[in-house]
Amino acid sequence: MRLMRQLPAIVYMAAAFAFIFLPVVMLFQYSFQDGVLPVPPFKGFSLRWYAALFADRKLMSGMGSSVIVGLLSSAAATVLGFLAAYAMARRPPRRAKLVQFMLMAPISVSYLIIALGLLFSFNLVGIGKSLTAVGIGHVVINLPLCFAILYSQLGEHQANVERAAQDLGASDLQALLLITVPMLWPALLAAFFIAFTLSWDEFVIAFLLSKYDPTMPVVIWSMLRSGLSPKLNAAGTFVFAISVVLVIVVELLLARRRGHG
Amino acid sequence: MAEPLVELVGISKSYGSMVAVAGLDLSIGKGEFVVLLGPSGSGKTTVLSMIGGFIDPDAGHVRIGGADVTLLPPAKRPTATVFQDYALFPHMSVRANVGFGLAMRKVPKAERTERAEDVLRLVGLEGFGARGIHQLSGGQRQRVALARAIAVNPAVLLLDEPLGALDLALRRQMQEELVRIQKRLGTTFVHVTHDQEEAMSIADMIVVMNRGVVEDMGAPTRIYRRPASLFAATFMGENNLLAGRVASVSGDAVTVETPLGRLAVAGRAESGASVHVAVRPEQLHPAATAPENAAPVGSARIQELVFQGTHWRARAVAGAGGEVALLLRLPPDMRLELGMALDLFARPEDMVLLTR
Repeated sequence: MRLMRQLPAIVYMAAAFAFIFLPVVMLFQYSFQDGVLPVPPFKGFSLRWYAALFADRKLMSGMGSSVIVGLLSSAAATVLGFLAAYAMARRPPRRAKLVQFMLMAPISVSYLIIALGLLFSFNLVGIGKSLTAVGIGHVVINLPLCFAILYSQLGEHQANVERAAQDLGASDLQALLLITVPMLWPALLAAFFIAFTLSWDEFVIAFLLSKYDPTMPVVIWSMLRSGLSPKLNAAGTFVFAISVVLVIVVELLLARRRGHG
Repeated sequence: MAEPLVELVGISKSYGSMVAVAGLDLSIGKGEFVVLLGPSGSGKTTVLSMIGGFIDPDAGHVRIGGADVTLLPPAKRPTATVFQDYALFPHMSVRANVGFGLAMRKVPKAERTERAEDVLRLVGLEGFGARGIHQLSGGQRQRVALARAIAVNPAVLLLDEPLGALDLALRRQMQEELVRIQKRLGTTFVHVTHDQEEAMSIADMIVVMNRGVVEDMGAPTRIYRRPASLFAATFMGENNLLAGRVASVSGDAVTVETPLGRLAVAGRAESGASVHVAVRPEQLHPAATAPENAAPVGSARIQELVFQGTHWRARAVAGAGGEVALLLRLPPDMRLELGMALDLFARPEDMVLLTR
């Protein structure tokens, strides 16, 4: 009887998860297709498309671009986000609410609009389409997130700990470097990895602002135009796998931080 | 009083329209254990923060050892604070926590380690130096916070409700240890609490605060026995308050017309003034145990009885229409029952005249 009552809920949940994960599962499964088309029927297991992926110069150079843009833009977004969060938490300016709203605003603007805006602005100041331009775009979209993550960690207890350090003779800079940064280390890494994950599979900004050295998602998109191939499934699976690993790392880091309260 | 070490002169602090501290003067002697006692919102923590330099007063001056420190940051003051939430450095060992202040003063590492061990021994944490903060219990963390503040040898140690998070047994034990450590070091301690029992058991001097002003200050015995205000009389321990009017004045004593009849009390007040007479539960005696010079204060009927070992705790009503509620502590060997009428007596010197 109990099973009968729960059955609709179980079916509904299964359908919901299928809806969310089936595309990824298909992508994953057909990246191992022993054939030239990533469509049913599944003809058998093969790693040849992964070999092809790592041998493809375009895809590999795209991955290199993605890694460089991801590392540098995430580092910049984390550092800038931390400085903004520290200032807002410890030395709030006048009209702090307004400043905070402005810091968070980019999160509500579509990537397309941000990319167009950057395109025009870069044109004015003479920065051409390039990896640098993509990186700046990724800092713009990731800074609000990094700010929000780090601001949430700078509450009253953290402030008291910093006060204690200053009471014992630490200068502002010493308190920042010896106390705040080491205590926030897990949150700083979490912010960095979240930013990296978003940069890693961001398409619109990367597409509109890059030219000769496109990032991985842009390369995949341009190859898709010439038709489906299990190699692209392999590339997609690889991009997805990296994101999953990073999300797990972030969860572990934040759980550690929460556990230590 | 010993020579003043900390002097607060006319300090005020407001947050918007909320007045936290209103023109407060306070002088704390060298080597004293002073407790700022008051309910939440009484301004006691604000006063402590202004001594420590964490809050700037809107007006007035803070002097420590004769020097005006009103504008100095915490690091430049001869004070150290034990925070309510301990505020330990969780990424450092116990030893590094305790040695932090010395490291900031550029004391060489060997000396720092030695000093840290000495202070840890003083607070009963010998051999804990290498541990991490997360390996410690709440009580142990509290001791590390204390050791960290003591290690820099402050002239004044500020304690912001340091025992609030501990359970009752541990709190009692830490109270005794705080007193022991304070006497041993001879450092001036300024301690904030809302727990009047804690204040009575540790303080040389209690400063009773309410709504940003000092209601009373002095030795615990004096404040308990001769409170200066209505607030002090009720906040420090239990009390019976009788509202009345001064009927006649003769030298240093007055007669007050109360619902329990005319009571002669020491003190000064204008004839006709509205006053209160306070008398502690343990100072209202039944006829059998009344001291020789005790005067009758009327009869009361017992309404509630609880046996507490050392005494009976009783609630009773008195006065012509039974309109006065009284709290009594009666001898444990008395035979008592609900509804019983008791004639009560009190010594004139145990009754306190309160004019404010």
